Amino acid sequence: MQTEILCRPAASVARIQMQEGESITCEVGAMIAMSTAINVETAARKRGSSGGGVLKGIKRMFAGESFFLNHFTATADQQSLIIGPSLLGDIVSHPLTGGSLIVQGSSWLASGADIEIDATWQGLGNALFSGEAMFWIKCTGTGDVLLSSFGAIYEVVVDGTYTVDTGHIVAFEDTLGFTVGKSAGTWLNSFLGGEGLVCKFEGHGKLYCQSHNPPNFGKLLGPMLKAR
Amino acid sequence: MSETSFVHQPLGKSSTSADGKLAFEIFERPDFSILSVKLRTGEKVFAEPGAMATMTPGVDLKSSFRGGFGRSMGRLFGGESLLVNTYTAEQDSEVTFAPGPAGDMVHYRLRGGNLMLQRGAFVAHSEGVEITGKWQGAKGFFSGQGLVLLKASGDGDLFFNAYGAILEIDVVDGLVVDTGYVVAFEDTLGYKVSVMKGLRPGSKIKSFLFGGEGLVVDFEGRGKVWVQTRDVGPFLRWVTPYRPQKSRD
Repeated sequence: MQTEILCRPAASVARIQMQEGESITCEVGAMIAMSTAINVETAARKRGSSGGGVLKGIKRMFAGESFFLNHFTATADQQSLIIGPSLLGDIVSHPLTGGSLIVQGSSWLASGADIEIDATWQGLGNALFSGEAMFWIKCTGTGDVLLSSFGAIYEVVVDGTYTVDTGHIVAFEDTLGFTVGKSAGTWLNSFLGGEGLVCKFEGHGKLYCQSHNPPNFGKLLGPMLKAR
Repeated sequence: MSETSFVHQPLGKSSTSADGKLAFEIFERPDFSILSVKLRTGEKVFAEPGAMATMTPGVDLKSSFRGGFGRSMGRLFGGESLLVNTYTAEQDSEVTFAPGPAGDMVHYRLRGGNLMLQRGAFVAHSEGVEITGKWQGAKGFFSGQGLVLLKASGDGDLFFNAYGAILEIDVVDGLVVDTGYVVAFEDTLGYKVSVMKGLRPGSKIKSFLFGGEGLVVDFEGRGKVWVQTRDVGPFLRWVTPYRPQKSRD
């Protein structure tokens, strides 16, 4: 299997070349185009309900909600598959060699067949803030994970501590410890500063961030649109 | 089984063509494409209303129902305006065209064949090209926003645009494309709209057809297909949860 990222960085797509028997798991709706000898199978995974006592209403909203995956399997050699995310932005491929990668739900685009996907990971559940549908996926195993971002994507090798707004996290290696908390010294200052929740990483590991924060963009557009 | 080759247009800053009838240049590909056409005295270019960004003095602009009312209705079904703007150079001049969405633009030289265009993809054409709507019947209907086509034919230059970048794919051994991502294709290809394999009735998940997702175009035969790397449909579905909710009183 060969993966190539085309049209970087604003309208990136991934082209995956597969030989007979090879397969990849993608987010439903990610497929743009593909060769004819590729078999598609849809599967559902239970999506993690959000944690946090205060957010019980939201928890109910997401509890039991499924998230769908498409398994693409080549039934002949030299089959191409082109996939892309919904929002404008970049794609990177993260090679996973044992260990785990925690991926922000909407940044997960695809992963190799030998990678276990757990969408019920609770660690950052309380990063779910102001009703935004943020959920997290834990990828474990060996193979490539394709990550998409809103805007540009950049890699940070954390050694020590590093603070990221939850809306800018794409993915991080689970060798990193973290605490979710307020950005300023007091809650009032955090809200006035508009930064809401941040994630403080510590330890050593790789972290992927995106240049733009999708919920912020959504909140900018929303009030200008017709009520639903 | 031979490989379907996925030819990818070089993504330069600009795109010019030696074989164009018009002297043109496409700048800032693929993200923010803008088309510049250099007209000699008497030359014409026809464009989608609203596409013109700038023009030098000496260009006459006329809006008309080109090709008569019947043809115009066809274009309406094709999702394009009934009107076509005609820019005629009264002296050597330059007109630039920028499409609505941020994205790529492609030049295609028609030489007697036909090119099918997805609704909204048409930007401009030279003299000698004719655009007609093609009512797709059930084929177009079932695809929802998916596949409403215009047909470009004749001999001349055609320019079309997309949201996101455009990939040019040389189909050799069939190709499956999500309906929302089809921008254009040569009509030497056979095509039909169907439900994507994994989502067909009888498979585990039966009712997954929301928002047109899951419908694909199956191409067969030989020819080129242009696909866009983003679709406005998924973006609109993404933004929907941020819309205000109607008060319930």
